[in-house]
Amino acid sequence: MTQAIAKGRTGAPPVLLGAAGLVAFVGLFEVLPRVGILPEAYFPTASTIGRTMATLVTESSFWVSFGETVQTWALGLAIAVAAGIVLGVVIGTVPVLRAATASTIEFLRPIPSVALIPLVIVLVGTDMESTLILVVYASFWQMLIQVLYGVADVDPVARETALSYRLGPWDRIRYLVFPTALPYALTGVRLAASVALILAVTGELVIGSPGLGHDIETANSSNSIPRVYALIVVTGLIGLAANLVARAVERYALAWHPSVRADVPA
Amino acid sequence: MIRKTSAFIATTLLVASMAACSSSSTPNAPSSSGPAVDDKVTVGVIAILDVAPIYLGRDKGIFHKHGIELTMQQAQGGAAIVPAVVSGQYQFGFSNVVSLLLAKSQNVPIKAVANGNNSTGSTSADFGGLFVKDPNIKSPKDLVGKKVATNTLKNIVDTTVKAIVAKDGGDASKVNFVELAFPNMAPALDAGNVDAIFVVEPFLSAAKAKGWKQIGSYADVDPNLCVALYFTSTQLMTQKPDLVKRFTDAMKESLAYAQTHPDEARAELTTYTTIKADDTKNLILPKWPGDIDKTSIDKLAGLAVTYGLLTSKPDLTTLLP
Repeated sequence: MTQAIAKGRTGAPPVLLGAAGLVAFVGLFEVLPRVGILPEAYFPTASTIGRTMATLVTESSFWVSFGETVQTWALGLAIAVAAGIVLGVVIGTVPVLRAATASTIEFLRPIPSVALIPLVIVLVGTDMESTLILVVYASFWQMLIQVLYGVADVDPVARETALSYRLGPWDRIRYLVFPTALPYALTGVRLAASVALILAVTGELVIGSPGLGHDIETANSSNSIPRVYALIVVTGLIGLAANLVARAVERYALAWHPSVRADVPA
Repeated sequence: MIRKTSAFIATTLLVASMAACSSSSTPNAPSSSGPAVDDKVTVGVIAILDVAPIYLGRDKGIFHKHGIELTMQQAQGGAAIVPAVVSGQYQFGFSNVVSLLLAKSQNVPIKAVANGNNSTGSTSADFGGLFVKDPNIKSPKDLVGKKVATNTLKNIVDTTVKAIVAKDGGDASKVNFVELAFPNMAPALDAGNVDAIFVVEPFLSAAKAKGWKQIGSYADVDPNLCVALYFTSTQLMTQKPDLVKRFTDAMKESLAYAQTHPDEARAELTTYTTIKADDTKNLILPKWPGDIDKTSIDKLAGLAVTYGLLTSKPDLTTLLP
């Protein structure tokens, strides 16, 4: 739908527009340091960053760090998504639980994960587990809130119909709650995926647990500025890939939903 | 639909487990040929020049000779290393002397076991130095009322800068300090956000290359200034005195080796930092004496009291071996 509108207005396919935007951005980063608007010593040109990335991908230690960051991210995301779905459905379907936990959730949710860094260093240490805790903590709330909203969004008429037809608790979850909550949950996964990546890299940067974030810090303290930028671009690409995958899953799992079906007006 | 969603979750878990398998173990000591199995020891270090001897000692088999299999954990600073050593996550750690004095004054159960690194003794060619850009700042006392960048407030760098200013006859209490990480100092001085920076290698070479003027160094505090030490927890000290002694012996040997083989020490830098091999040739390496210079630590402790980091001078015998 939105794609159709974009195409109708400009006449160019959105993929081309997106590519043009990217090229312009890269071009700007090539020109600004060259002409001296940005000091080249601290802002390497896009081509320097590209060359550094080319050597980076030939180093085995880079791929080890890459694997470590992806592992922390994926594991943290999986735990947060699983916990968010289970707790979200349980809390969301039991009104008493929802009322009892609402204020606690609203208190815990806004605590920035990074504020817990000193705590996890003392309690858990400086290994991957510390970063994992931060990742799970931050992305869990994204998931839980979406699932809670999704569960609460069940159409009252549909709910009463289900009750009239005496659907059991399991069937109500399967045919009533699940289709309603699924779009919310998948949005939650997408939000949680990017938050999880932010926290994975932050944790590695600040705590020093192994991964790309730690490599950024090492490159920084070695005054290897192009390498710092190259690693940052890599983390950005991981985020981009994660978002693309999450969107693809969304389109696939919600093919029936009006928000995804282009032929039916929402 | 359930199947599709569960397939997605399964995929996520699969990716996670695959990543878990691919992360290889840390490289360690050379193949064991000795009769006994080496004690596995984890040391918390910072990825800077100062710790080249321990890496060199590991790769030269010095630690293996003393029955120790070393694993280095790179932490982001003493703030992360000290708690990890006390909790036993690391058996040993590397930290600057002032951080250790501060920890000791708060009764943190730690004990120094080996020397870390020292000033080169040359005020013009030390591995840590004070730089200015403004030509009107001619000597350290001109920094009174000016802004100076330090990597940590109330620690070894600002104490050093204060000592340099005081030595030149300036009022050290009137120097303003701004906390900036070493990598951010040169850009800040370039932009005029600060008037002076105290940097260590490799940033010192970069500051020199910029043509900025050096007006002080670690050597101004004491020509043999002990900057950092290796330490352990008092718990490990009492539980495994033999292991601690072997670590101390191996460390002494590694320090001596690095001191007499500077080219190998420079080459070692490329294994745990991302400094390019060509750039390592011009870096000023610290001095790596095998013994702890107690006189300079005593001096630092005195300065820490003078500048209000400590309320009273700690009993150094509780910290030093």
